[in-house]
Amino acid sequence: MATKLKQRTVVICGGGFTAGLIARQLTAKNIDVLVLERGGDRTRGAEARLPNQRDELRWDVRAGLAQDWAVQTYSLRHSRNEDALPIRRLEAFLPGEGMGGAANHWNGQTWRWAEYDPILRTRLETRYGQRAIPPELTVQDWGVTYAELEPYHALWEKLFGIAGKAGNLRGQIQAGGNPFEAPRQDEYPQPPLPATESGLIFAKAAESLGYKPFPMAAGNSPNAYTNPDGMTLGQCQYCGHCERFICEANAKASPEVLLYPMLRKRSGFELKLHTHVTGVDYDKQTKRVRGVRYIDLLTGEEYEQPADIVVLASFVMSNTKYLLMAGIGEPYDPTTGTGVVGKNFCHQTMSGVNVHFKDRLLNPFLAAGSSQTCIDEFNEDNFDHSGLGFFGGGYIYSNVTTGRPINHRLVPPGTPQWGSKWKQANADWYSRSFNIYVHGSWYPHRENYIDLDPTYRDAYGQPLVRMTFDIRDNELRMSEYLTKKAVEIAQATGATVVGTPSPRKGPYDSRVYQTTHVTGGTIMGADPRSSVVSSHLQHWDAQNLFVVGASVYPFNAGYNPTGPLGAIALRLGDDLVRYTERPRQL
Amino acid sequence: MSSKTDAKLGRRGFLKGVAAATGAVPLAPELLVATGVAGAAVVAQSAVAEPAAPNLPAPEAGYQSLGPDEAGFVEAMVNIMCPADSLTPGGVDCGLAVYIDRQLAGGFGKGERLYMNGPWRQGKPQHGYQLPLTPEQFFKAGVAAANDAVQKKFGKDFSDLSPADADAFLHDLADGKVSDARVPLAQWFNELVYPLFVQACFADPIYGGNVGKVFWKVIGYPGLPATHTHDMVDFRGKPFPGAQDPKSIADFS
Repeated sequence: MATKLKQRTVVICGGGFTAGLIARQLTAKNIDVLVLERGGDRTRGAEARLPNQRDELRWDVRAGLAQDWAVQTYSLRHSRNEDALPIRRLEAFLPGEGMGGAANHWNGQTWRWAEYDPILRTRLETRYGQRAIPPELTVQDWGVTYAELEPYHALWEKLFGIAGKAGNLRGQIQAGGNPFEAPRQDEYPQPPLPATESGLIFAKAAESLGYKPFPMAAGNSPNAYTNPDGMTLGQCQYCGHCERFICEANAKASPEVLLYPMLRKRSGFELKLHTHVTGVDYDKQTKRVRGVRYIDLLTGEEYEQPADIVVLASFVMSNTKYLLMAGIGEPYDPTTGTGVVGKNFCHQTMSGVNVHFKDRLLNPFLAAGSSQTCIDEFNEDNFDHSGLGFFGGGYIYSNVTTGRPINHRLVPPGTPQWGSKWKQANADWYSRSFNIYVHGSWYPHRENYIDLDPTYRDAYGQPLVRMTFDIRDNELRMSEYLTKKAVEIAQATGATVVGTPSPRKGPYDSRVYQTTHVTGGTIMGADPRSSVVSSHLQHWDAQNLFVVGASVYPFNAGYNPTGPLGAIALRLGDDLVRYTERPRQL
Repeated sequence: MSSKTDAKLGRRGFLKGVAAATGAVPLAPELLVATGVAGAAVVAQSAVAEPAAPNLPAPEAGYQSLGPDEAGFVEAMVNIMCPADSLTPGGVDCGLAVYIDRQLAGGFGKGERLYMNGPWRQGKPQHGYQLPLTPEQFFKAGVAAANDAVQKKFGKDFSDLSPADADAFLHDLADGKVSDARVPLAQWFNELVYPLFVQACFADPIYGGNVGKVFWKVIGYPGLPATHTHDMVDFRGKPFPGAQDPKSIADFS
């Protein structure tokens, strides 16, 4: 029997990146906020301190900061006529656990998406005609424009001390930046990270082909930095332990450094760690949620937590699961294309090619998670897709973020898998190789969606989220095209050996890491028939329920998702302030 | 335990004595050339047959998970996959068998962080591991099945094969050419055994492999603490001195 607790104003499920940003806006107005987070505070553990922070096996190979698959995993089938199997140890993406969530173990790679992304459907229809877009490509607009989000982008970048070079200041293209960048009002809060040796090689090759290379914007702080809240970042040590790690130097812009220590001192803010939310209570009659139920993982006791407002701010998969379990909104039905919950589930289309240099020393271990050099000529709709047979694209970059030796040794094709020649090849090429990578979009497909698994259950006895998911023709063609562009750059580097290109192939593989950027399931939009939440992230079928996270993206761009997520989370915080003042459909 | 394994253990005992007598001996100079700034062609020429073993501390003694026959298989295997040469001593002396044993005996081997609810069905390769066995159990089932296959083909244990036969057999395993009625041996080798081998070579030495940071020295990975704010630019494109003398977790503990 659950113990009923006293009513709270705002209850946020999941204590990660978006929850911290929302709570920042709310608690600044003295609004009562309770955050329920299943994991603990990792800032003083071995994962955040030298020397054990630099343990590739524990934190990277064994994914020590990610969700515990023994407790909760997902199932996968590639089409509706197959039975799904549980992924017993997922590698393809890495949801986080603990205060700060997955944003603690991010690389810091920061992008504003293209100016046209929030109106992508309109853009493609306008440029190529309605009939050019295949019916199964269920791309849709967000219901909000970039211009509306720009001030929130700027605020988030200041809060997180993002380092970069502007490419488009108020419409003026800036030398050295990304000429395809959405217009910014201001420069980045910090100067860009220095280029790596591989970045210099990449830039020269890209320029020789007429492209405009630029430094990736970074959440790795090049200098000591104090943000507008007075929270500080240390200086990046270029240690190559960013993604899958917590930064022991406090130099990676992340919620456990910049948000939660501040929030926990604010009155009206409460973070309950080790609490697993098991469900949302929904009143279908009044179309309102009453609150949430959770288990205290330290005691095993169950609680009922009433709330004026509930915000689902957990990982993509869980946001969808809470809605499906509570029966809030119409589940997506791929046979008819109707319903919305679980729709437009996407991931990222990664591919690349290795380059090896006999006479260049690249020192891959002298790098940060975002110390890369990029080109953006072939991202999404930055180029003409007429006659190409696909939409979307990606940025192409010198992908050196680390030299961690278990998983980051590149050897030329034909190297044996073991033996003296294998060792010799590692000795010869470890410091002399890098990959040129494509970080590609993944547009939604009518047959790609998530729902509840009918067979497999998690440690709490609840159904797993089931992925019905595969890489479809649009992404296969896009990856083929983009990988060729990467190979052209590879050939222009003057590499001793250009490796075997690896355009993305199906079927979707749970064993290979791509990015942690899965998106969709609770998508936003202007029309209740085609979206779960409004552009204010308010649920169409429960006025006092809000959903935030990459789960609201109607598609996944060729850009990393963190930047716009910061912007929409801050905007939601402000929207919730307005909502508490006068509850209504925003 | 096979006589071959005994011989290795004897050698290990000998090495312990050497280590005690000489302390931590730095890597031989020719290896520093091999791992540092020299071009690939120079490196290739420096590959001489002189084993580098005497420079390393001895791996930990004793196994926690492996029985004698299993240890014989694993020791023979890591010595094939990592033969003694100018770059490193043999796999056993590099601690690779100890690493694998400790991983099987620990959380990983016991199925930590692995979803273990049924029903159990076999899917496509892309579904990943789907057996109702812990990694330790799977590892041992695979060793037994692989050894059976060796017995059928050669009439002896894997650990008694000639290096050429053993190497060819491992390639057959990796290529899916060795089958067993119940154990998926290609998956066993490629998705369990091989990753453990690679980790044994390149993980921090606190886990029992990569003794003396020998593999880090081979490739020129500097290890810890990696505070490179200035190095990032100062050593861009240049030999990084720390790559010749890597530091591990134990060095800072």
